[in-house]
Amino acid sequence: MRFKFVHAADLHLDTPFRGVPAGSGLTGAFQQATFRAFSRIVDVCLREHVAFLLLAGDLFDAKDRSVRARLALRRELDRLDVAGIQTFIVHGNHDPLSGDTGALGLPDSVKVFGADWEEVEVRREGRVLCRVQGISYPEAEMRENLSARFLRTGPDFTVGLLHANLGGVEGHANYAPCTVEELGARGLDYWALGHVHTRAEYTLAGGAVAVYPGNPQGRHVNEPGERGCVLVEVEEGRTWRRFVPVDRVRWHRLEVGLTGLGSLDGLVAAVTERVDASCPDELEGHAVRLTLTGRGPLHRELSRPEALGQLEADLREQLALRHPPVLLESLRDASLPELDLETVRLSGGFSGTLLAEAEALVADPEVLKALWAEDAELRTLGQRLRRLGVDVLEAPRPELVEQAGWQVVEQLHEEDAS
Amino acid sequence: MSGALRIDVLKVHGFGHFSGYELELGPGLNLLYGPNEAGKSTLLAFLRGMLFGFEKRGRSESRYEPEAGAFGGELCVSSGAGPLVVRRVADRKGKAAVTVFSPEGHELLASRLDEALAHVSRELFCEVFAFSLDELSSFEQLVEEDGVSRALFAAGLRGARRLPEVEKHLEKRAGELFKVSGKNPELNQVLRQLEEIRGKLDALKDRPEQYFQERERLASLGRQQEEAVARQEQIARELGRLSRLEAALGELGELTRLRTELAVLPDLSAFPPGGEGRLEELLQRRTKARAEQSRVEELLSTGGAELARLSAASAVREREEGLRLVLGAFTARAELLRALPGRRAALEARRREVEQALGGLGLAVDAAGLLALELGAAARGTLESLADRLAKAEAERREAEVALGRARVERERIEASLARLQAERTKLPDVSAAELRQRQAALSRSRLLRVERDQVAAQRAEQQQRLQALRAQAEPEPGAAPAPWLVLLGAGMAVVGVGALALHSGAKEGALALFFALLLIVPLVLGYVRSVRSHQGNVEAHAARQRQRAQELARLQSALDTLTGRQLGLERELAAATSEAGVTPEASTAGLAGADAALAEALRQAERVEHLGREREAREAERDGVVREAQAAELAGRRADVQVRTLRAELAALLVARGFPKELSPQRALALWRDVAEQRQRLADLGADERALAADEAACEAAVSRLLEEAREAGLPAGPVEAVAARVASALEELKTRDAEARTLRARVDEWVGDRARFSRLRESEEQALAALLARGGCTTEETFRQRARQAEHFEALTRRVRELTWRIEAATGLEEPAAREAILEVGGEERLKEKLAQLRMQEPACAEHLKVLHTEYGSTRSQLERWEDDEELAALRIQEEQLKARAAELATRYATDRLALALLARARRRFEEEQQPRVIQLASEHFAALTAGRYRRVFLPAGGKRELRVSDARRDWSAEHLSRGTREQLYLAFRLAVIQDFGETRGALPLVVDDIL
Repeated sequence: MRFKFVHAADLHLDTPFRGVPAGSGLTGAFQQATFRAFSRIVDVCLREHVAFLLLAGDLFDAKDRSVRARLALRRELDRLDVAGIQTFIVHGNHDPLSGDTGALGLPDSVKVFGADWEEVEVRREGRVLCRVQGISYPEAEMRENLSARFLRTGPDFTVGLLHANLGGVEGHANYAPCTVEELGARGLDYWALGHVHTRAEYTLAGGAVAVYPGNPQGRHVNEPGERGCVLVEVEEGRTWRRFVPVDRVRWHRLEVGLTGLGSLDGLVAAVTERVDASCPDELEGHAVRLTLTGRGPLHRELSRPEALGQLEADLREQLALRHPPVLLESLRDASLPELDLETVRLSGGFSGTLLAEAEALVADPEVLKALWAEDAELRTLGQRLRRLGVDVLEAPRPELVEQAGWQVVEQLHEEDAS
Repeated sequence: MSGALRIDVLKVHGFGHFSGYELELGPGLNLLYGPNEAGKSTLLAFLRGMLFGFEKRGRSESRYEPEAGAFGGELCVSSGAGPLVVRRVADRKGKAAVTVFSPEGHELLASRLDEALAHVSRELFCEVFAFSLDELSSFEQLVEEDGVSRALFAAGLRGARRLPEVEKHLEKRAGELFKVSGKNPELNQVLRQLEEIRGKLDALKDRPEQYFQERERLASLGRQQEEAVARQEQIARELGRLSRLEAALGELGELTRLRTELAVLPDLSAFPPGGEGRLEELLQRRTKARAEQSRVEELLSTGGAELARLSAASAVREREEGLRLVLGAFTARAELLRALPGRRAALEARRREVEQALGGLGLAVDAAGLLALELGAAARGTLESLADRLAKAEAERREAEVALGRARVERERIEASLARLQAERTKLPDVSAAELRQRQAALSRSRLLRVERDQVAAQRAEQQQRLQALRAQAEPEPGAAPAPWLVLLGAGMAVVGVGALALHSGAKEGALALFFALLLIVPLVLGYVRSVRSHQGNVEAHAARQRQRAQELARLQSALDTLTGRQLGLERELAAATSEAGVTPEASTAGLAGADAALAEALRQAERVEHLGREREAREAERDGVVREAQAAELAGRRADVQVRTLRAELAALLVARGFPKELSPQRALALWRDVAEQRQRLADLGADERALAADEAACEAAVSRLLEEAREAGLPAGPVEAVAARVASALEELKTRDAEARTLRARVDEWVGDRARFSRLRESEEQALAALLARGGCTTEETFRQRARQAEHFEALTRRVRELTWRIEAATGLEEPAAREAILEVGGEERLKEKLAQLRMQEPACAEHLKVLHTEYGSTRSQLERWEDDEELAALRIQEEQLKARAAELATRYATDRLALALLARARRRFEEEQQPRVIQLASEHFAALTAGRYRRVFLPAGGKRELRVSDARRDWSAEHLSRGTREQLYLAFRLAVIQDFGETRGALPLVVDDIL
């Protein structure tokens, strides 16, 4: 029998957007964006007459302690309930069962999987249409490979709903770790995964697939591009998957080369052109991180104190007035001086030694680690930041060494250039 | 940029004990010597201070500030970029800013001094370039001190001159970002804010948990509220019921009493209500009807007598109609009658006035004649037309006379002008101007011809001279060609000589001689051939020149002939021109000029004569025109005169026909015409008025006589007509009044008769009603009726009260009387009812209070939940938290980058030093070896953390601190020299100033 379902994950309802100033005119649009994205997922379900909706964890963030998020979830699921569409939910590391989910009072058509493996049959006209299996995280930390508890119980199309890190994707905590092979071995037809915020699809042994739909709404600059859910159509055990974007505001990382630009006006024009090309009109807003790259005479001008900040403020003001509005998250200068580092390296001297030293450090993580650990102040700062939930200094970062090397060389040569 | 500096002159304005001291320094070594306290160290401090700034106040021992006078001085230095003057003078606050000038006195940037000093730091300069004996050994400490050490090593680090600055800059920047125990650095601030936000977030606790708990509580409150409301309603109901019963208690008691009272009275419910009142009313109405009836009877009897009186007969009544007519006629004319004498007198006066006016006009007609005159509009039109035409004809006649006079004057003026022209003409000669112009042209032509003739003569003389000169230039013939015999002679002599020699000395010598002879002959022959060729060239050139000369002669001769012909022609033309001009051909230039002037004068006169002739013709034409105008004016005058006379005759005829004096001018005649017409109109108006008066008099007379006659017949006394008329009028008025009164009285009598019948019917009906009332009350007499009526009234009041009380009980309790009594019994009687009521009244407010508390609590819980449902505070705090975290991450990255940069620099420097022992160290080794005469070979910096100097000979090495003081000082001196040398080579030479070093 032919049927459809929608697979979404990591709604993170009402989580704050990073890099959106509290007082900016776009705050409202951004705050509502996660709700609206979820609402659009429900719209997709209603429009496509799907059999059920899968939500693979992290519906909201327990640490946000948002009542609104819970109410919005119930409101939207009520809409599905009225339309007779079932919803299957597992909880992930951000909304574990130890949270407050029980008190929400979700409609009857919603199935929330518990901490133990469970399977539910989806029936239509008295026949089993599909089987959905799932496990929720009882606590935030889940180091066990939960996928091992899943197994095929019948010939019907079987979906595994799980919040997990497949293949140890970096940038995400390694919870419920599993591998492609392990998933393939369970014999399920479709793994509806959550946790990794970037859309991905893995083909498993026997033609099954494991899918990360990504989060439906990017919330910071590291979640750029279009975001949404996956609409899956099943017929005779085979699946056709279609990505449906639902985000209302979109993040972009844009680079603008300084090469060939002689004036700030030219730079502003180049930025405007770049933003025009990347930010489609049909959305309600965009957030952009601009990075200046390449070499050019403007590098020197922008390295003056306050120059970059001033340009950033000007651009922010200009971009905010566009339709749809564009929020400038930040303007970063990654441009290089006109100084040719290769020549410096080859010409030797102190700068050559310095660059060679930087390269050596980048190449040898152990030495870099030792250097990182040596610096007491850096260590203290790292600990303090960790306590506050900022992990930026957790591990030594080779790219910083590289950057530091360029900066120093540039400063050493500054007088010669002047 | 590399620097270099030499101090040429130092001028001390005031420093230590120096004041106004000036010292010139030469190139190379300058040695200053003197006893103790001479100021050698002071000068060292001065130089340091001048180049890098004086010590700050408060360190007086090294500041050298004089007690009085200026503090500071001037240095004249030579730098790589030219000479500079460095001035540093302290201001009142003791600050001594440096100023740099060019030798010409232009102020320059202070950085020029830094450039000249190759950006050397103060520490490095003071310790290396300008030091004293005391400081020699302090170098050890300085090597360990980071700042100078770094500067020292940087001096030898290629491409890292800015290393100390960069390190300092990085440290500063990192310090501005974060300090472990700092408060103000940006990252510290961000972290503090983040901690605050975290604190606030923690204070908010687990909001969803609270929310769900509160929601539970809200539901429970809702239930409690419902219960409380139900209880309150029940109490209110019971209270209401019992209160109503209580309120009905009084009414129930009274009702019982009334019912007892009613039981003793007969049933009087059928007695007519308000019976006594109605009886009295009927009695009163009957009496009133009787009185009215008797009054009407009386009125009827008096009315009949009065009516008879008013209808009695009289003489006036019989003639009433006639009297009314004549009185009407008289009254209508009474006004006219009174005005008749006045009107007549006025008419008489007007007639007299008109007749007087007529006499004043002086016409030969009386009033009757005047009325008969024909003075209509047509006749007046004729008169006006005549007057107009006459005026016009006279005007024309005047115009003609004026024109005639003007023409005559004009003619006289023209004739005088003609006479003047004639007189002038007779004075001028009769010469033709054309002829004179022709002569003038001939004269000027002859002048031109003379000039041309002279030019041709001159050209001819010149040509003749050139011809003669050409002819005189005879060129000699070239000489004869050189003779060949000389060559032959030479050759012959040579042959002879050779032959003789051959004979004499033999063949060999002969052959030799022949050979030499041949050698001589060849040049001789060659010379001869060359001279022959030269001669031939000369001959050809001569012939060509001769040909050219002959051509030139022929050309000159023909030109001369042409000129001669031209001269002859000119002579002829000149003779013709002069004869035409009337002068001799030989006349001088002055003669020609005189003739020219005479001709010009004659020509001017001839032109004047022509002008006069033209003028005269014009005047004559003008005169003819004037004569014609005079004739025309004369003709017009005569015509106008005839017309005037005709018109005057017509006017006179018209005036005579109207009796007007015939000599009158048209204007006067018109004025008189208007006056006569006016008087005639007045006369006609007067006649009409007189006729109207006569008619009015006749009509008045008739009316008066008829009035008097009618009055007499009606028996009224006679008298003046006005009195009679008044009497007639009053008699008529009286008669009219009496008639009106009689009519009124008759109407009232009729009315009284109707009233009498009505009152009779009324009395009967009242009596019937009284009888009926007594019957209804069951009485026969009025008195018994009255007694029963009082009883019935009491019965009615009691019944009404009973009814009222029953209603009130129903209204208060909602129950009928028996049911209410039943309910009270159910409660347990009156006493019990009151007790229960008291209890309920106490319970009611307590219940309401409880409900209010529940309401308040429910409302606050509900609003709290609503607030949480749309919680901005928590969201805002989370946004801020994320914002600050992002900011902290960014700043931490920057901080880490700076720290890494510093670490990187340190590592790089170490490696650089290890791999490439700085040149300074190498140089120091050389100097130290030289200073210790080879005792020590090498100075070096060991690799690793500690920066200490070590020295070694060939076998072992020592740390500097293990050396004797003298050796150590030598080492440091060697090191300084090394730095100085390296600095000089890489960045520019700086002065070396040492104090007491030897």
